[in-house]
Amino acid sequence: MALLDRSAWYNIARSTNWTPKYVPESELFPKDQSDPYGIPTAEWETFDEPYKVSYREYVSVQREKDAGAYSVKAALMRSNYYENADPAYLSLLKMHYGAIALSEYAACQSDARMTRFSKAPSMRNMATFGMLDELRHGQIQLYFPHQLVTLDRQFDWAHEAHHTRNWATLAGRHALDDVMMTRDAMTTSLMLNFAFETGLTNVQMIGLSADAANMGDYTFSNLITSIQSDEARHAQIGTPVIEIMIRNGKKAEAQQAVDVAFWRIWRVFALLTGIPMDYWFPLEKRDRSFKEYMHEFVITQFERQLRDVGLERPWYWEHFLDDIETHHHCQQAGIWSWRNTVWWNPTGGLGPAERDWLEQKYPGWNATHGKYWDVIIDNLRNGRPEKTEAVGMPAICNMCQIPISNKGGTVWKARIYQREYEGRRYNFCTLVCRWVFDTDPVRYKDWDTIVDRMYNGQISPPTAENILRYMGSGVVSKGGRDAHDYAWVKGYDRSPQAAE
Amino acid sequence: MSNVAVLSRLQFDAHTRVIDVDDGFTMDQVAAACAAPAVGYQTSHPDPSKPLRVRRTTDDDTAPTLPRDLTVKAAGFTHFECIDVFVE
Repeated sequence: MALLDRSAWYNIARSTNWTPKYVPESELFPKDQSDPYGIPTAEWETFDEPYKVSYREYVSVQREKDAGAYSVKAALMRSNYYENADPAYLSLLKMHYGAIALSEYAACQSDARMTRFSKAPSMRNMATFGMLDELRHGQIQLYFPHQLVTLDRQFDWAHEAHHTRNWATLAGRHALDDVMMTRDAMTTSLMLNFAFETGLTNVQMIGLSADAANMGDYTFSNLITSIQSDEARHAQIGTPVIEIMIRNGKKAEAQQAVDVAFWRIWRVFALLTGIPMDYWFPLEKRDRSFKEYMHEFVITQFERQLRDVGLERPWYWEHFLDDIETHHHCQQAGIWSWRNTVWWNPTGGLGPAERDWLEQKYPGWNATHGKYWDVIIDNLRNGRPEKTEAVGMPAICNMCQIPISNKGGTVWKARIYQREYEGRRYNFCTLVCRWVFDTDPVRYKDWDTIVDRMYNGQISPPTAENILRYMGSGVVSKGGRDAHDYAWVKGYDRSPQAAE
Repeated sequence: MSNVAVLSRLQFDAHTRVIDVDDGFTMDQVAAACAAPAVGYQTSHPDPSKPLRVRRTTDDDTAPTLPRDLTVKAAGFTHFECIDVFVE
């Protein structure tokens, strides 16, 4: 059958709009779902997305991507790759799938909201493809780990994590609920498509894909690359929205939405990406440090994108740069110490050579983060492994839901930033998380951290066993342990000088 | 007697911690309770030759050190009171 060339019809198809006759426009596009900023309707006709794709092309390309990802997976399964993989690398997969698979599925709803409520017809068109993208990402990232459940029950968290109240799940869900599940169509495009996907997804996707390939896991590398190619397309939805807002005097509102979302997602993705890159991959497999990735793939790129659309760097840029040096190191330490609370087996992974590498990549690491590990290594080398398991609870941030930590040692930067609101005392890890709360306290005030739940009766009685059970640890699977059974400490026996 | 949850910022520790203290505890007992899950686990005592002292956390770290025999109740600590535990 002869087909018209795409150029003959595409522009008409993507820009078809209509004037409602049976309902008023305010019902078709309610303000709180479509446009709380009051952009004139005619402005939406100017929405121009850089990626132009037809449904026929989309289906064809997506079929090819799926075929590639599934065939690589089938080949690798035949080689028993996962049965022989480094346990710390398997932990990366468990953490990733548990955190990401159902988040992708949830993102279908975000794109569906843009598909239904966006006023720009071509934005609705793009969001339709975005919605289908996210459905594929959810399915493929549930299916792949499902086949690994027989290998290790912890892989079941790919499906279960979002149905639990594990602290790590709460952290991810709080951020994603904020930026993609509970905003109007326009703000979702700024927060999800521009700040999250354009700004930060690349670091997760590009960084992890390269490292997975170095580990010989072409299944995961191919999967991530396949997903990234979709993200690169639908992430473009936000850019024209920002341009339209700026033209219509709403730059401050656009800037704030981007600033909030970028920080919120950064705090979670630094854990998902930074910890494996700097601690879990064997030294010889590390492509570069997390910090180097951040500077190369995020900072340079995101700054340019902000400039291109007419926005500024977030006000907290210096705090962000400092957080790149700090946050994931602190959380590696905390997650390892409270390892029985998570659904993967983190490795300490800090032999003498690894410490040298960290000191080189993060000058001052030994004098700050290293002090923490000095105590742990001393306990392990002197037969006190029980003292490496944390007791009690860390304070947890009322915004990012992550333990409030910072550099230890003589610089001693761990600090809680508080805010009193309507008689309740809220705790924050940084000035930036507190600022996010201040932008809209009504939005955030009713959420409870795991620690709040210990004191308001949701976890009763708040014994260690009950807290773990409440979080699903020991229920869905066993909680975490050291992935290498402390084998990394043996390096100090071979190198007494390094142990000093 | 009742429990108060304080948020402990122990000198040189990377974490901040939730510590339950009795309102009859003295500041010395509060400091000991805050050190118990941290020192020897993930951090060292900042200076074993000196006693740990307590002050309220402030942005500029200038709050007065609280007397060692002052009780939690007398200090007026309330839920999620943020305190520094440190050596002078």
